[in-house]
Amino acid sequence: MAKVTSPMGRVGSFSRYVLLVACTLGALLPGYIMLTGAFKTQSEFLSSPWSLPANPTFKAFGESWSAGLPSWFVNTILVTAGAVVGVMVLSALAGWGFAYWQFKGRETLLGIIVSLMVVPPVVLLIPLFQFGAQLGWISTFRILILIYIGLMLPFSIYLLANFFSAIPHSLLEAAQIDGASTGAIFRRIVLPLSGPPIATLAVVNILWAWNELLLALVFLQDPEKHTLMVGIAGFRGRYSLDIPTVMAGLTLVTLPLVIAYLVGQRFFIQGLTAGGIKGE
Amino acid sequence: MTDATMTTTRGPAPSGGRRSSRRPGPWHAALWIAPAAIAIVFVFAYAIYQLVVQSFKYKGAWTGWDNFRIVLTDPLFLTALKHNMELLLCVPVLIAIALLLAIVLSETIRGHTFFRGVLFFPYILPVTVVGVVLGQLLTLNGPVNTALNGVGLGKLAADWLGDPNIALWTMGAVIVWKEVGFGIVLFLARILSLPTETYEAAALDGAGFWRKHWSITLPQMTGVIAFYAVTEAIVMVSWVFNYVYIMTNGQGGPGDSTVVTELYIYRMAFQNQQIELAAAAAVILFLITLLLVVIFFRLQRKSLLAVVGE
Amino acid sequence: MRKTIKAAALLGVAALTLAACSSGGGGGASSPSASGGSTAPSPTSTEPITLTMHWWGDQEAPGAKKWLDAAITAYQTAHPNITIKETLETTDGLIPNFEAAAAAKTPLDIQYFWGGIYAQQPHWAGNTAAISDFLPADELAHYTNAQMEDSYQGKIVSAPWYVNPSFPVLVNKDLLSKNGLTVPTTWTDFLKTCDTLSAKGIPTIAGGVKDGWFGGWLYSILGAQSVTSQKQVLDAVVGNAKFTDPALGDWWTRLEESQKHKCWNSDINSQELYQAQQMFVDQKAAMTVTAGPDAPNFATKAGGPDKIEVMAMPAWSNGPLAGKIASSSQTLGIPSWSEHKAEAADFIKFLHSADQLQAWYDITGSLPADDRFDLTQVTDPIKKSLFAGGTDNVPYMENFIPAQLDSDAVFKNVQLVLKGSETGAAAAADMQAQMERLRTTDRELVTNFTNWASGQ
Repeated sequence: MAKVTSPMGRVGSFSRYVLLVACTLGALLPGYIMLTGAFKTQSEFLSSPWSLPANPTFKAFGESWSAGLPSWFVNTILVTAGAVVGVMVLSALAGWGFAYWQFKGRETLLGIIVSLMVVPPVVLLIPLFQFGAQLGWISTFRILILIYIGLMLPFSIYLLANFFSAIPHSLLEAAQIDGASTGAIFRRIVLPLSGPPIATLAVVNILWAWNELLLALVFLQDPEKHTLMVGIAGFRGRYSLDIPTVMAGLTLVTLPLVIAYLVGQRFFIQGLTAGGIKGE
Repeated sequence: MTDATMTTTRGPAPSGGRRSSRRPGPWHAALWIAPAAIAIVFVFAYAIYQLVVQSFKYKGAWTGWDNFRIVLTDPLFLTALKHNMELLLCVPVLIAIALLLAIVLSETIRGHTFFRGVLFFPYILPVTVVGVVLGQLLTLNGPVNTALNGVGLGKLAADWLGDPNIALWTMGAVIVWKEVGFGIVLFLARILSLPTETYEAAALDGAGFWRKHWSITLPQMTGVIAFYAVTEAIVMVSWVFNYVYIMTNGQGGPGDSTVVTELYIYRMAFQNQQIELAAAAAVILFLITLLLVVIFFRLQRKSLLAVVGE
Repeated sequence: MRKTIKAAALLGVAALTLAACSSGGGGGASSPSASGGSTAPSPTSTEPITLTMHWWGDQEAPGAKKWLDAAITAYQTAHPNITIKETLETTDGLIPNFEAAAAAKTPLDIQYFWGGIYAQQPHWAGNTAAISDFLPADELAHYTNAQMEDSYQGKIVSAPWYVNPSFPVLVNKDLLSKNGLTVPTTWTDFLKTCDTLSAKGIPTIAGGVKDGWFGGWLYSILGAQSVTSQKQVLDAVVGNAKFTDPALGDWWTRLEESQKHKCWNSDINSQELYQAQQMFVDQKAAMTVTAGPDAPNFATKAGGPDKIEVMAMPAWSNGPLAGKIASSSQTLGIPSWSEHKAEAADFIKFLHSADQLQAWYDITGSLPADDRFDLTQVTDPIKKSLFAGGTDNVPYMENFIPAQLDSDAVFKNVQLVLKGSETGAAAAADMQAQMERLRTTDRELVTNFTNWASGQ
């Protein structure tokens, strides 16, 4: 029996690659359709969706670009930047608060915060919308940024608190003996050590804010305030007779993500798997 | 860089009283935590409080359980809930596929990083993009059916999103396509951290692929599998709005075959102007999620800390 | 440790205070305040005013935007103190965006509503002021369908803008004659046409129900045929009749027949409405249904009057409305929270001035909702038959059922029947069941519809 393992192993290895290649194709095919579709004409897309574009044209890109993409990009960047900077600052402070001090109820409090990660936004949508409406903040970025910060905080605090807790005790003690204040320790010792986790966290949060649809859809009523996701969601209805334009728009929206992923794949994978429930 | 991060996530659990004295009193922690706490209280505590209050009112007047009675006897709401429950059946499928691919990947040396990177890729894409592209692929005369017909599998072609009997499962398949990469990477990380000695012993015993992983790999992975299962269960119950909204033009169709709880709430609130009923439905969804949170939280201690390392 | 608790307690108090403050603010979307009547200065005032207008319509009446831009420029020239800011809404966004604006009370002075229930419901919710409070009755008397669709308790709630002959069927005579067929005008002929064409793999009539809306159109062109008047439908809404009654429910069986006879394009359930209509333009289907204002353009694109004929849906019933194109007016209303209601009304009236009516017709080729428009200038046969339908006061039935019944029962069951997964009888039963359900979930529906019906 033992003697046959070797050829079987080779067969096994072959079938493994077949499986992996098949799954790889499955993961990439929609992207292929999107990208090639963007260079086709409507009739070419409908008649031969799988082939490479016979006469690549950039017309669809021009069309989708002039349909509002530039302002959606700007809006998305503003909202994402505001929310992510806010959440990074707040979660770093809170994470340090949780990591540095032992206080009664600390575990429970952290536990509650962690469990908030799973509260679906649709549950919070109605009261927050009414709140925004009363303040006249509908179609403003500040209400959306505020809510994004709140929604991203639980995971961010959790991640940073965990990291800060793991900073070697000896480093902090030495600084304490030197008489450094808590703030100084945080600034001079903790933050410089925290580059990688902060970068990882930033990637996760940027991705989340960039991709968010439901809240942006409800809160940003004014077409001038639409983000990429809201714009793209309406795009399909407007260009249902011009699929290449839709595909070109989607390609442009996805491009920054693809580039970021190619450059910083490690951060994406670390950050998203650390969170578990983030990433929608 | 990697090392630092590994320490992060693998670091000792933040427990035990190893630091307590020789520093400003614990109330200082409150100062650091307060800004974040205010944001959290606003977005979560305030919102949920308001939601609950509203779910007991109609046009500003207290109506007791009326809204809940109406929602719970509304066939559409029950249908929506049922669809969420049916989507839960995607969870075992996700686990099975992710496990298989993670194990295969763990035994693959050449192209390991490439495959992992590609398989994880759908997970970072916006649902909006995924929904529009796959929605287009899956139309009756769309690329998928064209391809099936082209390779002689025309019998398998179906009206994926237009047939009420399969639309929900198509939706489920799209979710699986997008979410499975997360499981693969999660499981892979765990498998690679397992001690290799047992595998070597098993190889000497001549154990085959299935037996080896059934008796060695699986038993050591229950924690991470449970974590993934709960995470994805939460996705199926309360994070599928985007898929349905994009792929069915906000209709939940054909018929009501893809109406889910989130869509019910959204349409009640923003299309049918039945805010109070939407609030009651949201409270019910919240309670269901809470149940999952309890499970999640119990597992979290055991598994989350164990698996977050990459 | 105690201080932590104190801090936590403080936070709790803050949250409660917040909650108390905002609940005192009066439940946002749920209880909009009633219309405050005219508080705005007269239109002759010279202080700078910005009017915000949200509208829809370029989708079904191409050119509407061009016309509106010109009309706004003309109006602004005549009223230098007034600036009009317009936003073109998407089909899916029109209603939700208005609801959101109502909840947020964002500045909004002129809002587009489809006619009938779509104009009524916002008024019942207190979100629009009655246009008849701002425009004289002798002006509104000229507005097509204002009385039939938009009157509520003696007031006109929204001002008709242009007429939607609802809905014409376009027929490709060429395609039919190539296949040895003539234009079917009765249901039996129609089904025979379907049999012949489906045997050759040609869909008789192109439609798309994925986005739902077309279901409502079908209700109007098939479901209205056996009904005597809109009053009968309103009665079924409030419970004095049933949607399973033969007059109200038999059309579902006709729809089922059309599915059985393979009248439709096979991918009707995965096509959106506008996508499917393209099949007709591409000569791949013999018939389609379009929005009235859009029909002439479609006819031109598909081959012009020599090839294309406009008609009503083939009749399956002897009812008074069978075989006729119904008429509905798309409207402009004034939000109850607008601070410039009088100015908004003045602009709406301006849109009905002779020049603007003419310009509307010249640019869009569709019918303005005003009987002062000179119909004799219309010579094109397609437009003639369309406009005849547009002015004969046949109710467009989709506009007389609750919008939620439309989406929860009509859209839904049309999808299921056309897929072949539900019988017509089951669809009628489900529509009745949904109606009964809505009378429970919408606690003011019966009162509102009873009031509406009493004026009909």
